[in-house]
Amino acid sequence: MIGLLEASVSFGALLYLAALGEMIAEKAGILNLGVEGMIAMGAVTGFAVALQTGNPWVALVAAVAAGALVGLLHGFFTVVLGAEQVVSGLSLTIFGLGLAAYVGRGSVGRPSGAELVPVDWGPLTDIPWAGPVLFAQSPLVYLAVIAGFVTWFVLWRTRLGLAVRAAGESASTADAAGHSVAGIRLAAVAVGGGLAGAAGAYLTLSLTPQWAEGIVAGRGWIAVALVIFGAWHPGRVAVGALLFGLTLALKTRLQTFGVDFSPILLSMLPYVLTVGVLVVISIRSRNRPSPAPAALGIAYRREER
Amino acid sequence: MSRPVLVRREQVLRGGQPLAFGIGLAVALVVGVLLLVGSGHDPLRVYERMFEASLGDPRAWSVTLNRAVPLGLAGLAVAVAGSMGLWNIGAEGQIMAGAIGAAWVARIGGDWPSPVVITAMLAAAILGGGLLALGPAIARARIGVNEIITTLMLNEVAIRLVQWLIHGRWKDPDSHNFPLAPMLSDNARLPGLFERAHVGVVLAAVVIVLFGVAASRTAWGYELRVAGSSGATARYAGISLERKILTVLVLSGGVAGFAGGIELSGTSDRITENLSNGFGFAGIIVAALALMRPSGVAAVALLFGAVQIGGQSIQTMGVSSSVSTILQALILFGAIAAGVLSRYRVEMVAGDTTGAIR
Amino acid sequence: MTEPQQPAATGGSPSDPESGGAPAGEPPAVELLDVWKRFPGVVANAGAHLRVHRGSVHAVLGENGAGKSTLMNVLSGVYRPDEGEVRIDGVAHHFRTPADALAAGVGMVHQEFRLVPSFTVAENVVLGACNRIVRRAAVESAVGALAERFGLATEPDRPVWHLSMGERQRVEILKALWRDARILVLDEPTAVLTPGEADELGAVLRHMADDGRTVIFISHKLHEVTGFCDEATVLRGGETVAASLSVADTDATQLAGLMVGASPLVTDRPPSRDAGEALLEVRGLRCLDDRGLAALDDLDLAVHSGEIVGIAGVAGNGQRELAQAIAGLRSVESGSIHLVGEDRTDATPRQRFADGLGYIPEDRLGVGLAPRLSVTDNAVLRTYGRHRRGPFLDAASATGHCRDLVDRFGVRTGPLEEPIAGLSGGNLQRLLVGRELVGGPRVVVAAQPTRGLDVQGVKAIQDLLVAERDAGAAILMVSEDLDELLTLADRLLVMHAGCIVAEFDPATAERRAIGEAMIGHADVTGDPVAPAETTADR
Repeated sequence: MIGLLEASVSFGALLYLAALGEMIAEKAGILNLGVEGMIAMGAVTGFAVALQTGNPWVALVAAVAAGALVGLLHGFFTVVLGAEQVVSGLSLTIFGLGLAAYVGRGSVGRPSGAELVPVDWGPLTDIPWAGPVLFAQSPLVYLAVIAGFVTWFVLWRTRLGLAVRAAGESASTADAAGHSVAGIRLAAVAVGGGLAGAAGAYLTLSLTPQWAEGIVAGRGWIAVALVIFGAWHPGRVAVGALLFGLTLALKTRLQTFGVDFSPILLSMLPYVLTVGVLVVISIRSRNRPSPAPAALGIAYRREER
Repeated sequence: MSRPVLVRREQVLRGGQPLAFGIGLAVALVVGVLLLVGSGHDPLRVYERMFEASLGDPRAWSVTLNRAVPLGLAGLAVAVAGSMGLWNIGAEGQIMAGAIGAAWVARIGGDWPSPVVITAMLAAAILGGGLLALGPAIARARIGVNEIITTLMLNEVAIRLVQWLIHGRWKDPDSHNFPLAPMLSDNARLPGLFERAHVGVVLAAVVIVLFGVAASRTAWGYELRVAGSSGATARYAGISLERKILTVLVLSGGVAGFAGGIELSGTSDRITENLSNGFGFAGIIVAALALMRPSGVAAVALLFGAVQIGGQSIQTMGVSSSVSTILQALILFGAIAAGVLSRYRVEMVAGDTTGAIR
Repeated sequence: MTEPQQPAATGGSPSDPESGGAPAGEPPAVELLDVWKRFPGVVANAGAHLRVHRGSVHAVLGENGAGKSTLMNVLSGVYRPDEGEVRIDGVAHHFRTPADALAAGVGMVHQEFRLVPSFTVAENVVLGACNRIVRRAAVESAVGALAERFGLATEPDRPVWHLSMGERQRVEILKALWRDARILVLDEPTAVLTPGEADELGAVLRHMADDGRTVIFISHKLHEVTGFCDEATVLRGGETVAASLSVADTDATQLAGLMVGASPLVTDRPPSRDAGEALLEVRGLRCLDDRGLAALDDLDLAVHSGEIVGIAGVAGNGQRELAQAIAGLRSVESGSIHLVGEDRTDATPRQRFADGLGYIPEDRLGVGLAPRLSVTDNAVLRTYGRHRRGPFLDAASATGHCRDLVDRFGVRTGPLEEPIAGLSGGNLQRLLVGRELVGGPRVVVAAQPTRGLDVQGVKAIQDLLVAERDAGAAILMVSEDLDELLTLADRLLVMHAGCIVAEFDPATAERRAIGEAMIGHADVTGDPVAPAETTADR
């Protein structure tokens, strides 16, 4: 049971990092369907740099940078060139997965030798239940929690965050108020990519910790779902991340609990739930604004206002 | 201080999109050279081998055509929805759903005559894909739920459904450690066409042509054009937007399902969890490059098929299959950039005219 | 360049200290001198000028197209004038962007609000003008204090989507005040308000003026001008025809006359015929606009065979909604619409077309025509059912119909399969009008049919409509161009605040009286003025 909870937090943190990044991009108005590719790029970069330098922290930074770069590419296509966000995002997923496979082709199954070992909180780990579950995790888990708080604070308590949210709700209003919508969106999608890269680093530096071509295993899509499930709020997304992490963790443990339910069917749950949440949101949005950023997915060009 | 600004052209550059496509291809090939050199291979030999293996002789063509079938049908599915401004991101799952339908028919029709089995399989495939799209279609038509997310989510559901079936009821008793579905019986396989190609190539071509004709020559296609142009104009013309959205999305799912049925019966010999193999997502790229027009889908699908088959073949030379994946993405990037330039031109604008709008 | 015309027998020279405002000697808070602004095909401002003293509430009055909005956009930095000068407190400025104007203290409140619905009032007010760290409580109380200071009752922590139009407008005003705008420009602020809210706004504006700020607003409603303002400037045809009139010393009739001009009409009127039976009847129509406010208020009208009925009025009084309701594109709260004697209140646009209703929408390219579709596709938009052969659309038949249309109505196009987006405005309109008229409709509703067209285009469309009338159709024509209506219409109705307030005979009507009706000039009891002329030839 403790193992289950520990794994839930573990997996959940991974999902949370990627989902937080996606949420930030969407809050600014950019739909990023390239998360899967950005996680892959972060994973392979983290691994490769860890291999080269033996320093997992440098590897983490490199992974974040790689993810951010791919995010910036998405921003370039969608914000500067005005291409369709769906098309750009998906092609970046294909690109990211492909490039990651290319870069990592020689390193499949090898250990990097530089891992992010779980943080030692000392006596805290001896607390029954909470100890091993909360206080024996990889540093990235705690980073994810910090990232969540920082995101909340910036978005709802700073001028920058107000501008970001305005860009995602009504780009012309943000523009009229003197903000650069293009600049905000580019920055947001780069941060989003960076967080996805961190999620990837978590995979290859902590969780597995190896590189293999299919390592991302669809978690990018779960992250996209998670943002909607959490109605674009860092707190609710965190709760959702734990929930989805639980379903992932249960997949391999159902047998041990003696539950005779197919783990495969269980793994459908996050997606089905997300569709349900979206339907509910849409129904309720007939009379009130939806929690979804109103300008999400729509390119903004001042001349055509 | 001047800065560059994108200004809409009054007239879209003629022949802009094929040109953009060509530029994309060129960009991809150039970057591909870098990748290959980077991994220690001779780019010219690799490209030569790719070409030979995909388009070099009738046998290569037959394999490429087979591959172009799911790419083209998925592209058609996305294009049909896209012509009305709707995004079907669920082709990946709808292909699977189609394969499930076809496989189920194959299982119960073990002793039916071949033409009957195959026809029933393909019909079930269309139904399967359409059914998977029905939910998102109703949600979008009635409530306005964003179809991008709903179709995307159902991808994962359909893939897991296949996994569940293969691990469970459809598991081949002879496959012990690694669950597999049993192979299709002979009567459930599409007959061959030439070399390695199967009849599915003809079927797909017929469907694409059919849709092309329907889009440009029928009243239904006309209504689709109007609805895709503007909702207000459609109301003015008496076209029911709700019905259009519903039919288009379900049809789109059906076409993708059809692809799944053909892929199962023609290329694959059993249903696997990799059957859709990225075709659904590639289909979105294909449709985007073809500007959501059925007429362009076939050509683009053929090219992508060639790149994919070529990419497979060079693995024996030690080149990673990821190179072909990267090439496909690069073709799109180049085409996006070039496509933008066919609709907009770059002007240097004096820095102080920001905000001076009409 | 016109000299400011002072109507005889009124006082009120601009620098008269008795007319209220700043002490003599202080430069005016706002001066617009000799402003010219041209757009392709139209001169919006032709040497217009304006002078407003600090601490006053000043109205800018004028018909549609008189240039009021353009002039205000020049003042607030949205447009740059081709010629002329803007002076704030005596200092000349060259605004390049609205931000420049804001820095000089000019804040504009547009008709269309720029608010984020899911943000709170406070968040909307401080967007773009707040500290790095936003302390919610501090910001909300600061915004609240500002609001209270100016009598703009508001709850800073309420999300904007909860708010009524009037409350949202207050947020827009607060935005300007938050940025310390000394000069407030409002564009038709009461267009979106209920009468009660409008009165509240008037009080707020007065409060701000008393605080030493300057308020300028565009209006076409007489009671606002007389009720809220100290002075008024009247624009017509891009020029200032009367500057800084003291409202107290000017009466409504004079204002109306200045607005519409008193020049005799050069009318080359097509001879009208005897009208026949009523083909279009509207009874007691009530309708809402897109925002949910009442647009049509118990409206009645009838149009007979062989007559053109013109609807005059300042934009925003329900004309759009009326045309849409008759065409079947807007649902009706109560009342009925009858076409050729049949009640068609619930019929779809397609059914009404089949009944013989032709509709020329105001929104040429957004509703009437699909810009990305070909000429042929657009030509058969209403009639494509006739070209069906089974599931197919007979391309030859459709193209033939299109060619026929193009020839008959003189539409100049490229190849018929090309998208229509490249066509000029005049040709687009010819196509649209031709399509609606080609079937010989019995009733035609034309909303702004000649808007934005050049001289030939205007003439062409007008001739088409007259020809249709002569063939026995009943034509309802809504137009912002009073001259056009006076030339073409057999009867002229004036709409104000969602109903018909007056009827005139165009042949003999006085422009001044029409103008009075357009600005809602009511007598003391609040009833609309009785029609100045009722003996229309029937």
